[in-house]
Parts: sequence; C-alpha cells; structure tokens
Amino acid sequence: MTAQFMIRVDQLNKSFGSHRVIDDLSFSLAEGERTALFAPSGAGKTTLIRILTGVEKADSGRFTLMDAEPVTLFQEPRLFPFLTVEENIFLPFKIKGKNVTNEVQRRYERWLEVCELSDSRRYYPYQLSGGMRQKTALVRGLLGEPRLLMMDEPFQSISAGSKQNIIAHIRQTLPHSSILFVTHIAEEIPMLAQTVLLFKNTLLSCPERVSAADLQKEISISNSLFITNENNRTSALNVTNKEIL
Amino acid sequence: MKNTRTFIFSLRNDAIGLALIVAVWGVAAIFYPPYIIPSPLTVLTEIPTYLPDHFAYHLGITLYRTVIGFGAAYIIGTLLGILAFTKKWVKPLNSLMLALQVMPGVILGVIFLLMFGIGSATPILLVACLTLPTMAINTVNGLARKDQVLEEYLVSLKAKPAEIARYIYLPALVPVLESNLSLGMSMAVKVVVLGEFIGTQDGLGYLLNNARIFFNMKEVFFYLVILLLFTLVFQAIQSAIFSIFFKKYYFAAEKA
Repeated sequence: MTAQFMIRVDQLNKSFGSHRVIDDLSFSLAEGERTALFAPSGAGKTTLIRILTGVEKADSGRFTLMDAEPVTLFQEPRLFPFLTVEENIFLPFKIKGKNVTNEVQRRYERWLEVCELSDSRRYYPYQLSGGMRQKTALVRGLLGEPRLLMMDEPFQSISAGSKQNIIAHIRQTLPHSSILFVTHIAEEIPMLAQTVLLFKNTLLSCPERVSAADLQKEISISNSLFITNENNRTSALNVTNKEIL
Repeated sequence: MKNTRTFIFSLRNDAIGLALIVAVWGVAAIFYPPYIIPSPLTVLTEIPTYLPDHFAYHLGITLYRTVIGFGAAYIIGTLLGILAFTKKWVKPLNSLMLALQVMPGVILGVIFLLMFGIGSATPILLVACLTLPTMAINTVNGLARKDQVLEEYLVSLKAKPAEIARYIYLPALVPVLESNLSLGMSMAVKVVVLGEFIGTQDGLGYLLNNARIFFNMKEVFFYLVILLLFTLVFQAIQSAIFSIFFKKYYFAAEKA
C-alpha cells in the first residue's frame, strides 16, 4: 500500500521570543511530488526544514513524515573536516550500516562526473571551493536515492552550468522521489519543482499553491515582493528589504 | 619510518628547549659562585661524587608514583568531565574542582601523611588530587566547543550515540586530551616531588630535599635536570603518539 502523502504539516507554529516565524502553517507533499517552498528571506524556511528534520522543536502543531529515512540537505554543506570527499559521501551508508554495493559505486562515479568532483575524491573539505563543498554535500544526500528529500537552498555557490547538470541528473535518477525544496531564487524553481508553495509575507503562513509554470505570472503581478537583482536572478524579498537594497 | 621521523622531530624540538635552559643556566653560573649555581659541566663531571646508592630505585619509584597518580587523575578527570558535560552538571563540577584546586598542596600532603603514614600513598594521592581538577575542567571546556552543526547533521541521519561520540565528541576531545597530558604531566612531576618531600623516605623528591637541606647544589641541579629530562622525553613521546594516531583531527582543524 502506498502512502498518499509523504509530508503532512498541520497548524504548525514557531516563534523565537516575540518574533513569530511560522504561523498556523498547514500543507502536504504528495508521494512523488516535487514542491518548492518560495518565500522571502527571513521568513522561516530554514526553521521549517529544521523542524521537519527533528533538530528544532515546534511550539505547537504537528507534522508527519511518511518515510523512516528522509534525507535533508542543509543550507551549509556540513562536511566533516577530518574526512575526505569520498569518506564524507559514504558516511550516511556507514552510519546506517548499509553496504556500498557495485550499483552504489557505479552511481557514485556518475555523480562525481556530473558534479566535476572525480579528481577531488581524496581531498579534504578545506581543499575545496565553496561550490565543490556544496556539491559534495549534494552527492552525499542524493547517492542513497531517498524517497523523501528536503533541501534548504541546496544550490548556493554552485555555478549556473553545474546547477543545470545537477538538477537534470536529479530528475533523471530520482524520478519518483518526493522533494521539498526551499529557495528564494525563482529561476531554480521550474528546473526542479512541479508545484510551488508561495509565501508573500515574511512569515510562513497560509501558502498559496501554484504550479511552477504559473510562478512567473505571480511574480510579475506581485512586483513589490519580488525584484531582479544584479545577477539578473529573481529573488523573493520583503518590501522593506527592497528599499534597503 | 615516517613514525620514527615524527618522534625524532618531536624530540628535536624538546632538545632545543633543553639546550636553551642549559645555556641560561651556564650563563647564570658565571655570575654566581658554585655553591649557589654550579655550572652544567661541574654538575656533569662530579656525578660520581654525589650520586647516591640505588639511584635507579629512587628514580623508578618516583616515576611509578607520577604515572599512577597522574594516570588516575587523567582517566577520572576526563570521565568526570564527559559525565558532567553530558549530564549538564558543568556548574557543580566547576565549583567542586575549583575548591579542590585552591587547596594548598602542603596542607593536603600533611593530611594524607597523617591518614596513610609514610609511603607511596601521600605522593600518589597528592598528584591525583592536584592534577584532577585541571583535567576535568579542560575536558568540559573542550566538549563545549564540539561542532553543533555537524551534530545536527548526524541527528538528522538518526545516528546512534556511539557514532555521535566518534564523529563529534572525539574530534572535540583529542586536542584536550593532548593538552591535558602535556600540562598535567608537568604538574604531576612538580607535585610528586612535593609529596615525596612530605611523606616518603625514597624517590627523587626525598633525595632533592636532603640535598637542599645540606646545600649540596650540584646534587640539587642534577635532580632538576633528571626531572626536566623525564618531562621532555614524555612530551616528545606524547606528541609523536598524537601526531601519528590523531593527525587528521589536527590537520583538518588547522587548515579549516
């Protein structure tokens, strides 16, 4: 029997002191669905991922993950400085007591090619650029082909060309995985997500669910919320930030 | 071969330190008469005139007391630090250890002498009690610097406590274990001499005390050199062991 939802969030609330970041948030992610969570900076996206991952507690509300082994890709690479690229990538297998089969080894080699890390497998994190560290973290999270993947701004510091290759490879190798993908860069969304949970306030509350294709239309309507920055990328910003920038 | 080189390199650094001390001593000896500061050469050439019978026994018993007392403090202090950190008893432990630390060694030594009589118990207990607080407090402080972000990552993987200990706690502990060993052993050597002053009739501390009473400064300087050599050789061995077995933790931390 297959589960209808991979993630179900019900009336979740979270505040830091008097600053509320998640307010009565409810949404769900269907099995096999790839959804982007698009919200202004500081809106509590990372906090939501941390709550779903179990490293942060919500003040109230509840959530259900229909997978015992969800994978989270955090905003920072979180690589172990005393392990090489290869050791970092295989660490989840070691922790979970899983064997590295020939099939896994083959996938690993392919991922290294896609991420241009083949020659860096024996390097330590301090020997890598920011983008290479981020790619290593991506390979580490994706190699096990998780059924449920939560990603928090996973393509930061990765060049546009590499990003396209990596996303294409994710779509090819994980066609049935459910992905919740947090970003504030609009251009990344149609590349990976089918649907978008759109938050227009600097608070995660009452999302509007739109298709990734419709996002561009939404952006042109809500001019006060989205601006195009100097790199010609559309980012979600709150109105006060826009003035500062 | 590589390990031998590492050990020789550590020993070389310590030898440079020793050479500097001997040089300063040699210069000081020029300005003071030999009955106050004898020259290094005089101390060396006149060894046969003052070296006591059974010197090896005295040296051995001092090393034994140092290793047992400090070994116990090192193990118990580290375990106490880990326990206090994991059980969140950091403040009570700090208060207790600070109280122990301000206790004057001479007073504590006399108490142990009255309790256990003349013998090895006094120097061993004195070494253990006076070095333990530093071990425990340093361990707690080292663990407080563990990498929280990487720990969260392991929690997200549902890692077992043993794996969190291996990948998070051990890397945080390694530098502390080394500095505790280095700092603690130097302290232990000083304290064991005090303990042997107070409560024994053998060991280098006892010999040093006798030589001091009779103003036999050549003998006094000889024992000081022996204690210094012991500490330096120990530091070289310890430094080599850590750089061989735990090199990756230092290497990565230095470059990060």
